[in-house]
Amino acid sequence: MFRLLEETGFTRVRSAVVPHFRFRKQATQNSAEAYGVKAVMFTALKP
Amino acid sequence: MTDTADAQQSLEATLKGEIVRMYQEVADHPDGEFHFFHGREAAELFDYPREWLDRAPAGAVASFAGVGNPHERAQLKPGETVLDLGSGAGLDAIIASWAVGATGKVIGVDLNPSMCLKAQAHAAATGASMECHEGRMEDIPVPDASVDVVISNGVVNLSFRKRRVVEEIFRVLRPGGRMSITDIVSAKQLSQSIVNDPKLWAS
Repeated sequence: MFRLLEETGFTRVRSAVVPHFRFRKQATQNSAEAYGVKAVMFTALKP
Repeated sequence: MTDTADAQQSLEATLKGEIVRMYQEVADHPDGEFHFFHGREAAELFDYPREWLDRAPAGAVASFAGVGNPHERAQLKPGETVLDLGSGAGLDAIIASWAVGATGKVIGVDLNPSMCLKAQAHAAATGASMECHEGRMEDIPVPDASVDVVISNGVVNLSFRKRRVVEEIFRVLRPGGRMSITDIVSAKQLSQSIVNDPKLWAS
């Protein structure tokens, strides 16, 4: 996503992991962790 | 059209149906159990101030299905025009409308027209003004360079065509405009069985 934003022309692209995000169901959370799934905040500017 | 393009189009149509069904379920049955946190519990998890959640209509809070807090870094100012991509039951749009005030404007876009009606009703209940358009994030129904800020919460990841979505966000923003979105990303390539399963993808 970060690269997509830069390639599209956005500048000042920033990302930060959403600290408390998790899935309610443990089985889903386990699968998500196996795939490195995270919630991330992206900010960017259109020049 | 090639077989591959046909298959992609068919999968996208199925996915759209599954997304509408899942988030309609959250809106219609907010007391139900889902594999993701939703409602006030989720909003508090992502540090939405309690005063916002007390002030917003209960229905908008109960149906919240975001994955973070795009307001944290949006720095909305009075008079700005904000687009909430995937506005759902309207909580983020309503919060944005408080920030931009009467001189600003909030536009919601959602795949599901009944969610648009719900969001507008929730906004009206608080005296906030919000217009909502049924539409897809791959073809945002908003003119070029007409928006100061795009916010979105847990929606872009639902698209098979993320590049197109990002290009659309870029198109609708004015020069100097900004985006603040929270979304789900995966460090590893998802297996084909997940990609081909609309229920899992919509999750």
